[in-house]
Amino acid sequence: MRNKLYAPIILLLVLAFLIGPFIIIIAASLSAGETLSFPPQGLSLRWVIKVFEVESFRASFGISMFLAIGGTLAALILGIPASYALSRYKVPGAETIRTIVSSPIIVPGIIVGLALLRYFVVPFNFGILLALFLAHTALILPYAVRVVSASLNNLRSDIEEAAVLLGCSRTGAFFRVVMPNIRGGILAAFILGFVTSFNQVPVSLFLSGPGVRTLPIDMLSYMEITYDPSVAALSALLAFMSLGIVFLAERFLGFSRYV
Amino acid sequence: MFQNRAEAFALVLPAAIFAGAVFLVPVVILLSEGFRSGDSWTIQAYIDFFSQSLNQAVFLRTLKLAAMVTAAAAVIGYAAAFAIVNLPPKGKGRITGLVVLPLMISPVARTYAWIVILGRTGIVNQALVSVGLSDEPIRFLFTETAVFIGLLQLFLPLMIISLISALENMPRDAVPAARVLGANWLQVFTKVILPLTKEGLVIGGTLVFTGSMTAYITPAILGGSKVLMLETLLYQRVTMANDFVSASVIALILIVMAFAANLLLKRLATARNKR
Repeated sequence: MRNKLYAPIILLLVLAFLIGPFIIIIAASLSAGETLSFPPQGLSLRWVIKVFEVESFRASFGISMFLAIGGTLAALILGIPASYALSRYKVPGAETIRTIVSSPIIVPGIIVGLALLRYFVVPFNFGILLALFLAHTALILPYAVRVVSASLNNLRSDIEEAAVLLGCSRTGAFFRVVMPNIRGGILAAFILGFVTSFNQVPVSLFLSGPGVRTLPIDMLSYMEITYDPSVAALSALLAFMSLGIVFLAERFLGFSRYV
Repeated sequence: MFQNRAEAFALVLPAAIFAGAVFLVPVVILLSEGFRSGDSWTIQAYIDFFSQSLNQAVFLRTLKLAAMVTAAAAVIGYAAAFAIVNLPPKGKGRITGLVVLPLMISPVARTYAWIVILGRTGIVNQALVSVGLSDEPIRFLFTETAVFIGLLQLFLPLMIISLISALENMPRDAVPAARVLGANWLQVFTKVILPLTKEGLVIGGTLVFTGSMTAYITPAILGGSKVLMLETLLYQRVTMANDFVSASVIALILIVMAFAANLLLKRLATARNKR
């Protein structure tokens, strides 16, 4: 009897702790009042609408989108060939290369951002946006290599060897035989990279300049000066966006198989 | 396996060179700054850093909070993971999904919610005042408690998932057998469950501990300059004082901790594969 009760109570408490804050933030963002509060003072969509009207949010959303999509694509362009070589070829020093490529995941992002600012942006007069793009690409690269490698390792290599024996070129075999088979893994890597980059704060912390800021950084500085519910509304919108992406990915792809 | 070396290098080098140039080289230069003084190499910066009481306090606080969050996550994690693995398969999948869900959501959004909850006019204070437990709002924000709660919420899912997979790999009859043989629940946990799921605990613990050590957003939003942790201290040293030497020292501390944890994880993973 005691055991029957234990599980639901524990799970209810843990889920309330993990998910409850989102429900509160969604409710707070629907408030009609001037300041952040829960329970909300009347219901309205004014703060949700306000989010779309704030100029800096629109600009930083665009930059975050560009970084997440562009950075992930660049990471895949670098990462797919590397993963292919690491899983199909005898690469001398493979372990070292794997460590170099995956180190950005281990080193705290704030250090990467600072190092880029100090040794790339300042001395070489790099644009902030370019530095952000490079940093986000480096950050996503480990995820791309890991997920694509996993799906390459699950794919038998004799089918491409068969293609080569039958007269297909090595490149042809890759594009006609391998690529179609690891499409799911590549898509999964794209989604993981996108979400990682979009939510990323520490890397971008030092890499912001006039007019160039990622959305999470913009939210951080906005909440320092104002206490209105628009950041809550934006947080809720972003949460729904992430959930939508993950839901679609799981539905059509079985995303969790890859991650 | 293809043997062609030139092809292999052509495929792998762009990624390696990119990571090396954009990431490895700048970080190594940054770290070397902490050991330079003019033209000579020295560890003076490290001695200076640790001789200041503020820095000592921040360093110890970071370790303390990370350890506390890890311990709390382990306790709650076991309770939750144990409840989850005993659910029927359908419910297990759903609840696990709900536990993982927050990981996909922006940490800024996840942390911001605690301002609504713990703020002066937040839910907790409203409840305390209206029940009469407190005459005036208690300050939760910008305290270690707030940072602790925020970090725990951020990283608890990692611990729960690690423990779920560890508990699932445990022999099914181990717990009932121990019960039949007369062990009480405390003995079952310390003598049966804990030794059999040790690896999962270490993996989850390492993820939570390094995550908390190197967190920026949570201490920045919920701790502010009152509750500095290593990353927020680094940010403050750079933006307020242009102090790149301290930044380099903090960076090395963080990197050493992160790599040590990663090494531990890798060792555990290979040990498990061999078995």
